[in-house]
Amino acid sequence: MDRRTWKAGKMRQGFYGGNLTYAMLVAPILFLIFLFFYVPVGLAFFWSFFLERPFGGGSQFVGLQNFSRVLSDPVYWEALQRTVVFMIVAPGLAIGISLVLALAADRGLRLSQAARNIVIWPKAVAGASIGVVFVFIFNPFLGIFSPINDLFPGLWNPRIDGNDAFATIVVAQVWNGIPFNFIILLSGLQAIPDTLTKSAAMDGAGSWRRILDIQLPLLTPQLFLTFVLEFVGTVVEAFGLIDTMTEGGPGEATTLLIYKIYVDGFKAYDLSGAATQTVLLMIFVIVMVLLQFRIEKHVKYER
Amino acid sequence: MIEKSAAIDRTATVLLLLGMAFVLAPLVIAFVTATQSYQQFVQAGGIRFRIGGHFLDNIRLIVTETQLPRQLWNSFVISLLVAAIKCAFAFAATFALVFFDSRMNRAIFAVTIATVMLPLELVVITTYQIVANVLMPVNWFVEATGLDWLAGSIAGVRVPELRLSLLDTHIGVAAPIATSCTSVFIYRQFFLTLPRDLPRSAAMDGAGPLHFMVDILLPLSWTPLIATFMFWFIGGWTSYLWPLIAASTPDAQPAVVGLAKLATTDPERIPNVPMLMTGALFVSIIPVTLIAVMQRQIVRGMNLSEK
Repeated sequence: MDRRTWKAGKMRQGFYGGNLTYAMLVAPILFLIFLFFYVPVGLAFFWSFFLERPFGGGSQFVGLQNFSRVLSDPVYWEALQRTVVFMIVAPGLAIGISLVLALAADRGLRLSQAARNIVIWPKAVAGASIGVVFVFIFNPFLGIFSPINDLFPGLWNPRIDGNDAFATIVVAQVWNGIPFNFIILLSGLQAIPDTLTKSAAMDGAGSWRRILDIQLPLLTPQLFLTFVLEFVGTVVEAFGLIDTMTEGGPGEATTLLIYKIYVDGFKAYDLSGAATQTVLLMIFVIVMVLLQFRIEKHVKYER
Repeated sequence: MIEKSAAIDRTATVLLLLGMAFVLAPLVIAFVTATQSYQQFVQAGGIRFRIGGHFLDNIRLIVTETQLPRQLWNSFVISLLVAAIKCAFAFAATFALVFFDSRMNRAIFAVTIATVMLPLELVVITTYQIVANVLMPVNWFVEATGLDWLAGSIAGVRVPELRLSLLDTHIGVAAPIATSCTSVFIYRQFFLTLPRDLPRSAAMDGAGPLHFMVDILLPLSWTPLIATFMFWFIGGWTSYLWPLIAASTPDAQPAVVGLAKLATTDPERIPNVPMLMTGALFVSIIPVTLIAVMQRQIVRGMNLSEK
């Protein structure tokens, strides 16, 4: 009964009373997130309505001018478009590959143990570190595609061709994104009761049938979790890759919103513009997350 | 395993091998290149799958010629701070949320969980301003409440603008990374699986809430605590955008930032790729070893099968 009440959204009634002890226990985390999370978030909203001058040069209320300035800039819309494409392609590939690997590892093969260990290593490698490696691997003259370039000069050059550059970022992001999705999906698969799959097998359902009719439907919560986390993750995690691999170029082919905010704020000192883009990106992320939770409510399966 | 099917098992094995190859490929390429000398690399004209025997020379180059050893220490301290703050603060707060009867529970849970939705990297522009002067909210308070004006008219003194910058310090880099309260969620899930009457029986034995937290709850929670600690340590180690901004001097930068700076210094000549690859391995070896050794504990303790 107790579990049901908190699942319905009610907090469990605790045992202890005593306001002073309670306050002492929650104060540190509240202080930390107030100062380093809520104040910056609030400040970003505040700044988006002001014209901030760099180096403390004062500020001036401008209403919605910052928003109209950002939203009328075609460069912003192109960056947004690229971000959306990136948010669909990279998580799609990362989750797809992780799912295939998780299904394979779940079969309890001799290789499964080793795979479970090695496949999550990229989690421990910073995007910026592996970016340094990938930029060498994909280098048109020194990397693995240099023999192809010797035969067909100019076929592969991420320094000049925007699509090539975009592809390198996607590959690196997928590499970095596999471990977390793999862990979540595999633990989801392993939580599916043996009896279910066994009885399906007795009814004559082959592996493929069981994947489609039992494992995937029962994996829906985990799949949603990975999509939510990947969406938010790719918006920001690509930064380390972009900064070390392409610096937003060539042209602006790999300038995603997060990189544009960084360049506008810390290179061009357009603090109001950067804060306004921050606000827009925050709203975008929150809407995406809430939307995904809404969808999840409708498709949740009971175990 | 349910049925014996050689064909399916063979396919699964091939898929796993492909996955492992994809994951290992960049690391192996980095390692092979790291064993070559700069001369060998330039003469070969790029990538070659030949072990060169100069790995230790490249390591020596990294240790003596770059700031990476010092920056490795920065990474270590920052990651330790991130993990310790995240675990300790969240443990105390979640204990209060689950085991105390308070009307504030709901609100505090919502306020902490909301931080998970917006990663720090989204808000770096203004987080920078706050860390550059953590007393800024106090200044606002003084101004907004009119204390400023009051002091001026009564005592004839102006309240000075308070300034305290945490930029280029370990805690200044670590604290904003530690704000994401995912741990609260994980610990809460764990605490709710414990018997409800645990605090009651502790109380019968005369243990108050703090006694219960330290002597009973803490020993029971080692599994999730260790797992999350490792996970946040790795998270702190691999973060890039925020440390890049918050630490502007090489002395204060963590190793990942130092490596990226190293990779962008020489624009014209062929870069010293073997040294860079050695550097990439150098800054990654500690967290990768950690995850390889602790894989089982991390996955189990995170309780990622959402139930």
